[in-house]
Amino acid sequence: MIIHMNAKLIGIGTTLVILAIVVAVVFVPHATFEAAHRPSDDYRPLTTLEMQGRKLYLKNGCNNCHTQYIRAVDWGLGAERLAQAGDYFGQTPPMLGSIRTGPDLSQVGGEHTDDWHAAHFHNPRYPRPESIMPNFGFFSPAELRASIAYMQSLGFRAADARVRRQLAWREKAMAAYAAGIDQNIRWLHDLVPQGWRDVPNPYPATEVSLGRGATIYQRWCLGCHGPVGDGQGPAAAFLYPPPLNFTTLARHADSSGGLLYYQIMNGITGTAMPYLKRELESEKIWDVSNYLAQYFIGNNDANLEPKGIDAAYEPAAKEP
Amino acid sequence: MEETRTQFLASRLFFLTAAFWVLVAMTLGLIMAIQLAVPETYADIPQLLYSRLRPAHVNLVVFGLVLPGLVGAALYVVPTVCRTTLFAPWLAVASAVLWNGVNLGILGTLIHGMTQGREYAELIWELDVAVLVMYALLIVCVFGTIARRKEKLLYVSAWYIAGGLCWTAVVWVVGNVMWHPDTGSLSGISDAILNWFHGHNVLGLVITPAAVGVAYFIIPHATRTPIYSHTLSLLGFWMLLFVYTHTGTHHLLQAPVPQWLKVLSIVDSVALLIPVFAFLTNVWLPLRERIGRLHQDVGAKFVFVGTVWYFITCLQGPLHSLPVVQRLTHFTNWVVGHAHIAVLGFAGFISMGAVFYLLPRVSGRRLWSVRMAEAQYWLMSIGLIGFFLTLTSAGLIQGQAWLNGEVIYRILPQMSLYMVLRALLGIMMLTGGTLFTINVVMTIWRGQKVDS
Repeated sequence: MIIHMNAKLIGIGTTLVILAIVVAVVFVPHATFEAAHRPSDDYRPLTTLEMQGRKLYLKNGCNNCHTQYIRAVDWGLGAERLAQAGDYFGQTPPMLGSIRTGPDLSQVGGEHTDDWHAAHFHNPRYPRPESIMPNFGFFSPAELRASIAYMQSLGFRAADARVRRQLAWREKAMAAYAAGIDQNIRWLHDLVPQGWRDVPNPYPATEVSLGRGATIYQRWCLGCHGPVGDGQGPAAAFLYPPPLNFTTLARHADSSGGLLYYQIMNGITGTAMPYLKRELESEKIWDVSNYLAQYFIGNNDANLEPKGIDAAYEPAAKEP
Repeated sequence: MEETRTQFLASRLFFLTAAFWVLVAMTLGLIMAIQLAVPETYADIPQLLYSRLRPAHVNLVVFGLVLPGLVGAALYVVPTVCRTTLFAPWLAVASAVLWNGVNLGILGTLIHGMTQGREYAELIWELDVAVLVMYALLIVCVFGTIARRKEKLLYVSAWYIAGGLCWTAVVWVVGNVMWHPDTGSLSGISDAILNWFHGHNVLGLVITPAAVGVAYFIIPHATRTPIYSHTLSLLGFWMLLFVYTHTGTHHLLQAPVPQWLKVLSIVDSVALLIPVFAFLTNVWLPLRERIGRLHQDVGAKFVFVGTVWYFITCLQGPLHSLPVVQRLTHFTNWVVGHAHIAVLGFAGFISMGAVFYLLPRVSGRRLWSVRMAEAQYWLMSIGLIGFFLTLTSAGLIQGQAWLNGEVIYRILPQMSLYMVLRALLGIMMLTGGTLFTINVVMTIWRGQKVDS
């Protein structure tokens, strides 16, 4: 049997099938998916400035590299909160994105300070030396302001809380910096719980450890703190309070491996110094602490007592 | 002869369109590839931002290379299988002229950041309308030709071409939300569902039917052997229509959209194997003892290789839609590899093959240089295989690392090698594209007359 196809069947018949399918898989979900039509708990509308930033995000195609939804399998920034349908309430269009050449941005609000963003937009390799994001140095001051405002709004109310925390710490950090170099270091050291300050770097400062420390320093730290640790990296011009000059730590005998570890792990909220505990595992932070202490501070307590239990494979500890 | 000149003028224009825009589209691709390997190459030139070029590249590969080649071929295939002449050939010419204007518009608007920001639906409303007019003109020509056919049995190529044009017109209006000219979008997460319905079908319901339709003509024509089964072609056609169209949500399996829609999209994605293998069986099975005939014509060879890429692409597609696979591949370069073998490997190879195969028939001139076409074949084949392997490997590295809790920034240094390889392979493909341009232009300008 031969079934004959003809123009009517193709032109009208199949087109009606397509229309039926549009109704079934687009308009039925649109009409029946209730969660899409009410905002999620965290949601708040964007301000005019944030909306301008969102338009720039759209115009420059940022969604071609950055996603705005957290999945069940994700780790990293924002992973604590799965994306909800109501997060995209009223957005025309929502910008979920389909590829992560860069990180997900749905919870980036309050993660970094405004001055970090200014440096990062100008040249992403300033604060993040290995980034492959294009430069946005062509932004006018108004465009830059709007884009930063939009970044800080991502994550809605949770982002607002983070931004408020950044601003509160920022005041303290600025006051400490204004008080003078040594007072600033005093303030920074006093933020660290005593237990951490008493811990020397448990990893011996071997050539291997220092080499790894150097690699990590180059990938994560050099953009702000500079190649010689003097706080004169290319991003420094954008940042206030400016990045710490590690060589000044030599004047403070209470600098310790544990203290450096703690500061790298938790960052200095309110300043451009991010927390790195999400991005670097424990040994890597110890390695980069070793590198700082050995080369920039000139005062390394690596592998000194008290170590507590001897690690199984390491050389015996030295007496201080 | 005079009749050929006007009858196939539109085909020649479309082939020239493909030959010109392939250069632009592939150059954009290379500019972007360089940026991924060396990010500050053209720092602070907003028109060359990677993120603005990407949609320009995608749209121009589709509207610049793939579709014009296939439409030019369709305008030869449909009258031929209907044993008549093209209806209203001047409308097709108008469509070709408008087509080039649209491509210019795509390039100009997107690099200046005039975009609606929805993947595969970036074009501003004015260009959406122009695209619709382009399709409408072609619909008139194709259906007019079918209406006055002298062959009673309508061949499968014509079903796909005529159907594909109607479907894509509908999908284009709905998918671009053309009743909202400013934003071109619905509000909230529903727009993501619509966006991916569109993103999947805007390619799948015009490129796939056009490429399948053209391959259904050229492979049997070049081997002088009928397709395997009419019933199988019916099965493939109707299944494509019913199954392909539900699968858009497989792009959103990890996003907050209704569960039933995800399930539907997975089931239908797997079911897509049926129309794919119906088509492949139909054109491959009769080749058993005649594959040598395909290789006598470089155009037919391109088309055949296109069907091989279709096979690989369509094995990947249903696999990607399985949640367990997508956990690893989603958001990574793996998907970029898949997109390249689908659009350039499958549809692009069939499009360029159709240009080579039909150019002598629509211009009355022999192909200017078969050797050059062979060189292009190898440059593009090696380039694309390399591209596929490079991006798939890069995607696996990203996917595994992310599942293990590595952040994006930690994996970037590992991506560098693959991005450099990708740019180098891009140079191969652009070289192939340049040979294509030269060959098509020289054939029409200087090719030896078939009669003489």
